[in-house]
Amino acid sequence: MQDREMGFAGRIEELNKTVIAGVVGFAVGALIMILYGYDPISAYTALFSGAFGDLYSFSESLANATPLILTALTFAIGFRGGMFNIGAEGQLYLGALAAVTVSLFHLPSGIGIALSIIFAILAGAIWSLPVAILKAARGVHEVISTIMLNWIAQFLAFYLIAKILVDPLRAEKTISVAEWGRLPLLVPGTSLSCGIFVSLFAAIIIYLLLWRTTIGFDIRAMGYNPLAATYAGIEKWKIILFVFITGGFTAGLAGAVHVMGRPPTYAVYGGMPSIKGLGFEGLAVAMIGRNHPIGIIFAAIFFGGLLAGGRMMQLFSQVPLEMVRVVEGTVVLFLAIPELIRFFSFLRKVRIPLTFRIKRSQNKEGRQL
Amino acid sequence: MKHSPKLTGIIFVAVVLVIGLAMIPAVAEAAPKGKIAVVLDVGGRGDLSFNDMGYKGTDKAAADFGLQMVEIQSASASDYLPNVRNAARSKSFDLIISVGFLLTDAVAAAAKEYPDQKFMIIDSVVEAPNVMSIVFKENEGSALVGALAAMVAAHYGYPYVGAVLGIEIPVLFHFEAGYRFGIDWGNKAYAQEKDTNPNTGLLYTYTGTFSDIAKGKEATKAMLAQKAGLVYNVAGPLGIGDLQAITEDIKAKGKEAGPPFMIGVDANQDWMGDGHRVLASMLKRVDNACYNASEAVVKGTFKGGLVVMGLDVQGVGISKDPDLLDFMEFGIGAGKITAADKTKIVSNWKNMRAQVPSWIWNAVADLEKQIISGKISVPNANTLDEMKAVRSKYPLKR
Amino acid sequence: MNPGYLWGIFLGSLHAMVPITLASTGEVVGESAGLFNIGLEGIILLSAMTGALGAEAGGPIAGLIVGMGTGFAIGLVFGAICTYFKGVQLIAGVGINLFAAGLVTFWLIHLGVPGHHAVAEESMLVNISTPVGDFSPMILVAIVLPVLTYVLLFRTKLGLKIRAVGENPQAADVSGINIHLLRLFSTAAGASLAGLAGAYISVGWLGSVTKEISAGRGFIALATVVFSGLNPLLALLGGFIFGFFDNLAVWISTMPAVQQVIPWQFVSMAPYVVTLLVVAGVIGRARFPAAMGIPYERE
Repeated sequence: MQDREMGFAGRIEELNKTVIAGVVGFAVGALIMILYGYDPISAYTALFSGAFGDLYSFSESLANATPLILTALTFAIGFRGGMFNIGAEGQLYLGALAAVTVSLFHLPSGIGIALSIIFAILAGAIWSLPVAILKAARGVHEVISTIMLNWIAQFLAFYLIAKILVDPLRAEKTISVAEWGRLPLLVPGTSLSCGIFVSLFAAIIIYLLLWRTTIGFDIRAMGYNPLAATYAGIEKWKIILFVFITGGFTAGLAGAVHVMGRPPTYAVYGGMPSIKGLGFEGLAVAMIGRNHPIGIIFAAIFFGGLLAGGRMMQLFSQVPLEMVRVVEGTVVLFLAIPELIRFFSFLRKVRIPLTFRIKRSQNKEGRQL
Repeated sequence: MKHSPKLTGIIFVAVVLVIGLAMIPAVAEAAPKGKIAVVLDVGGRGDLSFNDMGYKGTDKAAADFGLQMVEIQSASASDYLPNVRNAARSKSFDLIISVGFLLTDAVAAAAKEYPDQKFMIIDSVVEAPNVMSIVFKENEGSALVGALAAMVAAHYGYPYVGAVLGIEIPVLFHFEAGYRFGIDWGNKAYAQEKDTNPNTGLLYTYTGTFSDIAKGKEATKAMLAQKAGLVYNVAGPLGIGDLQAITEDIKAKGKEAGPPFMIGVDANQDWMGDGHRVLASMLKRVDNACYNASEAVVKGTFKGGLVVMGLDVQGVGISKDPDLLDFMEFGIGAGKITAADKTKIVSNWKNMRAQVPSWIWNAVADLEKQIISGKISVPNANTLDEMKAVRSKYPLKR
Repeated sequence: MNPGYLWGIFLGSLHAMVPITLASTGEVVGESAGLFNIGLEGIILLSAMTGALGAEAGGPIAGLIVGMGTGFAIGLVFGAICTYFKGVQLIAGVGINLFAAGLVTFWLIHLGVPGHHAVAEESMLVNISTPVGDFSPMILVAIVLPVLTYVLLFRTKLGLKIRAVGENPQAADVSGINIHLLRLFSTAAGASLAGLAGAYISVGWLGSVTKEISAGRGFIALATVVFSGLNPLLALLGGFIFGFFDNLAVWISTMPAVQQVIPWQFVSMAPYVVTLLVVAGVIGRARFPAAMGIPYERE
């Protein structure tokens, strides 16, 4: 998180923490499995081979990771700026529907895909505008406004799916994204589409944005120390607007790559069973990825792997899919503890320079809810 | 500080490994003669109807033929294709059964990729030589319960009957279309017997969910308030909520038995509500479908193609006496009733049915005969437009 | 529209109000002390399950108590993580939600018929029958508790301490209040109400447990807390409003005539839009305790 100040030692500490949390998560999962008479060895073997064992499995993991990278970026951008943007859920619903809407027209392939993506991005950004405006102008806390807008988006999406975008032949879903609007499959015979490139590209862009541009610097400065940043001339409302709109872009994009890239249906079902939850999972991914684009990529692949592997685990060890959620939840829970390493360390507390400690506390206080 | 956490981590893993290894059973199982996979949609098990029946049928086949059954749940719609594919890829299943219309695209894709794998899908048609598509004539069964509902409502003085449906998938349109036709037919039959047409109307809603029980309860309450005498559950587990609303309504009047009544779906749900609150159920023998498909694979008679299970082959039907005992086992398994309740439920049920005049039961039986013989053809709907056409033909408004 | 409808909608709203009001009242206490628990959804889900199990073992009251206990236990873990271990509250809350979702589904597959656990009628809370419909006694509890909580928070010394800890922990610390302990207990007590809410859903209202039985009510409770401005009495009102619109939406969906004019999805949206407007307009700057969400560290 505080990579500049912490330096290399700090990064190792963060990585260690993530690993410990991961181990604890799996241990808890194993414990529960044992309690109910399942065999954790065969289960975890199936899990890991189902996640990374061969090209097919790895492709499935990447396919799952594709939208997660993007929704995690939404949260991470906000976090870096000192804000909690959990609006990815609602924004991605509308992004997916926007992409589907483009299929109502007839367009050649290249333009079709581009236009779908643009629409989706705009949809996500438009939905995050109210959050930004309310915060900048009225001081409304973004956690509240995003929760509200997520719900409103959900019902709006239900309406659009059932009445406006409904497929006349199959009333349980929207019209499918037209053939020319679909992202080509990267690995045939799997669910992996070229959407993964879109996600990786977005991650790189966000990385460059945050660490190689002035505005990115301003965002991070606002996140570290809002008072000092404002004193230095950075205007808060500009940062707020920028952070939320960019977050809206990535969230909308997440909806788009999912609906444009996911075989076999390429549509949104009534009740949105395939995209619901991607926003909140992105939150968890962002946390595990320590809110850094590179970390997020790995964390998303980890999460995607858990999902893909979980399916195999269910198939071969008959351990229910949801065990994966238990592992995820435990990992996230433990990652919430910043002093995790100290908790497990048997050595005495290492003395950290006073200034460093104050800066660390301030960083956390400045950023958190 | 760098080595300590890693050490702790290693200790953790070691402990887990040791415990885990110790738990591996050393007993070898008898090798199964075959394996069958059952893939479910996001609704999953526990609906006491559709999915549970799929399980029931396959389970019986597994027991009868010495097969191993593997159940595969789907947590999200994105799991459909990977689940079916994974099962096919493993090349270890003699048959992959997919329960439900929502799995159509997944099965279609996987069947193409794995032409040597046998598939079966319920409630949908996938045209491929290796896929057996089993569909039901829910409209025929629904016509029977619709007729019953209209006549019973009129008999007890209720102006409406209701239907609580789930998601607007083509399968549910079959139910709605048949139900409408049945109500209309029931009205006419009543007119013939009693010289006035009661014009029983229909209240219906698509709740948009196959899992939110509270919605079923609220929708039913709304219909009961508008004086519906019977409510048809066409949304799987929502029936639990429907029945609660009906039970509360009954008890508020100081009674124990209906009317109002619920009409069950897929499984025989007549035992629910102590045996005197669910008048009848529209049986959809998903269990038989799964059993037959499994049997076909074992005996080598499996053929791809369309299998239509209608009233004539008892693929659908209205619940009758013999089914009741069989399905009470369902309830016992779910923890809803105990074995001791069985006699009480059966006697309640008989009373409930006896209070409906026999001419009504005869009329329903007559309708059944006419449908089976082909004299009456029950309308059907697969798309929204077709459904709208049926709705305008039988508006059932008052 | 006959009076039967209106009573039906009213009673339905009251029943739907109970879990929301209970959970949000509890969260009001927790947030007044400075901890924001987004894990309410997970607590409600888990307590619905444990409450059902408890009821089957020892009757409905036992079930409700077990549910409360579950909420309390999770609240303790959450509180400990966020106070003594200086954890990030939002993250811990998300962790709870994920964990609960996984555990409950896993349990459901294991106990009885997978996917659905039914609570036998004898184990359910008995409703009071009135000529206009059935009344759950928990409705009365859900009305009384916010009133008591209001009194606690605004008329007692303990309440003053709780609010001080959320508003200005440094000053409270100096005056001798044990910040961590008070925050821990406030959040645990608050979470126990969320646990009661969950148990009510399975034992007192719907009589079953499925993996989606909580249906987002935890998040609705969070919204209600915002709407209430941390005033338990307004949380009671907010719970009723949400319950009302939720119910109204379902009723409207059964009346085709009304559906033409306003589809049910928009009715369901209404309370969230209202809350958003309230937060943006009427209340103006969202009035939360100044130190909410920040782990307290002695400098």
